[in-house]
Amino acid sequence: MKPDFLDDIRFTDLTWAGAGPFGTKVFSDFGADIIKVESTVRLDSVRTGGPFKDREYGVNRSGYFASRNTGKKSFTVDAKTPSGLQVIQDLIRRSDVVTNNFGPGAMERMGLSYDAVRAVKPDIIYLSMPMYGESGPLAKLLGVGMTISAVTGLLWATAYAEGDPVGPGTHYPDHAANPYHAAFAVLAALRYRKLTGKGMKIDLSQVESTLNFIGTAVTEWSTTGEEPEITGNADAGAAPHGIYRAGGEDDWVAVAVMEDRQWPALCKVIGRRDLAEDADLGSVKGRLARRQELDEAVSGWTGGQRADAAAALLMAAGVPAARVASARYLIEEDAQLAARGYFQRVPHPELGDSLYASLPFTVDGERIELDRPPLLGEHTREILTSLLGRSEAEVDILDAEGALK
Amino acid sequence: MRPYDQIRILDLSHWLGSYAGRLFADLGAEVIRVEPPEGLPDRERLSAGAFAFLNASKRSIVLDLEGDDGFELLSEFAATAQVVVLERDGPCWDRAEALVRRYPSLVVTCVSPYGRTGPLAGAAASDLTLQAAGGIAWMSGRIEDAPLRLPFGQAAMVAGTYAATATAICLRDAERRERGHLVDVSAQEAIAHSLQNAVQVWDLERRVSTRGGEGTRDATEDVFPCKDGFVFLAAPPALPNSWASVVGWMETLGHPSGAALRQERWSDREWRKTAEAKAAFRELFSGFARHLTRAELRDGALTRKIVMAPVARLRDLPDDPQLKARGFFRGVDGTTFPGPPYLLSEPVWQAAPAPKLGERTVEAAE
Repeated sequence: MKPDFLDDIRFTDLTWAGAGPFGTKVFSDFGADIIKVESTVRLDSVRTGGPFKDREYGVNRSGYFASRNTGKKSFTVDAKTPSGLQVIQDLIRRSDVVTNNFGPGAMERMGLSYDAVRAVKPDIIYLSMPMYGESGPLAKLLGVGMTISAVTGLLWATAYAEGDPVGPGTHYPDHAANPYHAAFAVLAALRYRKLTGKGMKIDLSQVESTLNFIGTAVTEWSTTGEEPEITGNADAGAAPHGIYRAGGEDDWVAVAVMEDRQWPALCKVIGRRDLAEDADLGSVKGRLARRQELDEAVSGWTGGQRADAAAALLMAAGVPAARVASARYLIEEDAQLAARGYFQRVPHPELGDSLYASLPFTVDGERIELDRPPLLGEHTREILTSLLGRSEAEVDILDAEGALK
Repeated sequence: MRPYDQIRILDLSHWLGSYAGRLFADLGAEVIRVEPPEGLPDRERLSAGAFAFLNASKRSIVLDLEGDDGFELLSEFAATAQVVVLERDGPCWDRAEALVRRYPSLVVTCVSPYGRTGPLAGAAASDLTLQAAGGIAWMSGRIEDAPLRLPFGQAAMVAGTYAATATAICLRDAERRERGHLVDVSAQEAIAHSLQNAVQVWDLERRVSTRGGEGTRDATEDVFPCKDGFVFLAAPPALPNSWASVVGWMETLGHPSGAALRQERWSDREWRKTAEAKAAFRELFSGFARHLTRAELRDGALTRKIVMAPVARLRDLPDDPQLKARGFFRGVDGTTFPGPPYLLSEPVWQAAPAPKLGERTVEAAE
């Protein structure tokens, strides 16, 4: 389906890079008019960052940009010119939401502080999402997803062992915690505006948002007085529990016995009746005490199997298990995602029929069909003439002044 | 007034959906855990701290949810609600369609490991196996070791946040156009939606993003030891100022790594992603950082505009000057909680203690 759920909402969207645009994308996917304000001079870093179609650089060839900006419009305008700023203010006057993920002070320097924007549109919803928040002594620290993981403790705890931090292999906070907390906050603010007529400012510190993703560790620490143990793929309350090497090349299977009844089922699958009959191993306490021995038993079996086959046998027996899937596997071989039509191809003049992850849910049994991301500046003229009421001649003048760069 | 005033959510989730209700409850929705007499399974499965976090601001009512009579009870109660959240392996999981049929403007959000359809719809799962099945475990860890999961139940956090957003969008449509929706959230898909650009890296460039990042991640983007711990640095070609400032800082301090990083090979984007470059950079940067503390490196990052930050552990957080200045941590019923994920200019966010089983029965039923 191509939903019209948000077709009465318009954003003046100044977000760029990863986390900001990923949060506004869900609005365009549901039919909102998301006008991405861009610059041809200071290009969005994901437009220039790749991966690129056929590994060939181009501002409209980046898959990273594409995956964050489906269904949006691209409006190139230079806020640093007086007429450019005026155009942006005109756009804001016709918008419900203004979004940015610049560092603190950047919007002020452009003349687009919350107060300035509110003067133009009193009930505006104004989202800022700098790394560390708008105020405070470290507010100006530059950040990416991984620095957010670093200062929150998430990086420290993503480790095989205490004191040897590895960290997530992605800028993890950029891909769920921060964009989706931001989206949820904007949706709440829209309802609040409906109830009260008032807009609001949302100051989303990406660090504070991410700390909520490890909130259970904070409250557990507070409750017990002890920092949660760093366990890697093991678990303080379950065994066997780990990622085990399987028989193929770089082939791994995750296995987690979470309940006592899953233990004999696992023993049967791996052909270890002796372990099933060992009364000490019937309880989680007994299994935790002999964790290493059980890990060896499981990996002794998985080593002779393909991860796929091992996971299938275990799942059939009711034991939580899964092949450790790469993106390639998810795209080409994962039967569950295929059955649910998770990936979709969307035509695009420069990217061709390239691949997108769907939103990770269906609505009324249907996938949300994505529209392609915009070419740089693709909608500038259309927005100026049809939305902002400028004549073609006026647009030409703006262009000549250098306001539409 | 608060954003979700006049919204009642019946929350039958117990793992992957729990955080969704929490987000609504903090912003004014009346989120009622509808629990069987023994409680939903998370009361037993979760630690007290984790339960408190995921269920703050909610209420609890006990209903006997067994069989058709149980569903009838839930169904009658749903007449007073705008949203029902169901989760696989919990009560009334298979009754979603019946609820939607009975109440055409109700939003029913179903959260499960793999979604309601497909060959794995009923498959056993855990946080670890979902991180494996969704693709995030593959991308973390060291290449010479196994793939590595993320800590602290991230499958539920990712699934819960997506569930909350999808529910909020559908609720808006239900209120605006009086049409309800059935939302089917898959945790596997939610994780697969959070793989950075790995899908496109494969589709467009036929490269597989793998733990360690060889061939896909710049040599500078990693964790490095310093005098009193670790820092994370990012100074790839895409962040040219960060790179220039790091090298410049080394040179200002007269450290030989500065000159070494001026060599021509460091301007080769592709070479910088190789194992060779990673090893070389590790040695050069660690040689420099070894003489500086985390705080010194952070302050340098701040003044020199380098993308770099200290690696904190939980017990460092209360001393984080930024979190302190913003008064981030809050006490809720004697437990330290993270403050809100977003600061709102209107005073509408509030966290209250999680409910005891059936604690608000009378109040809720009214």
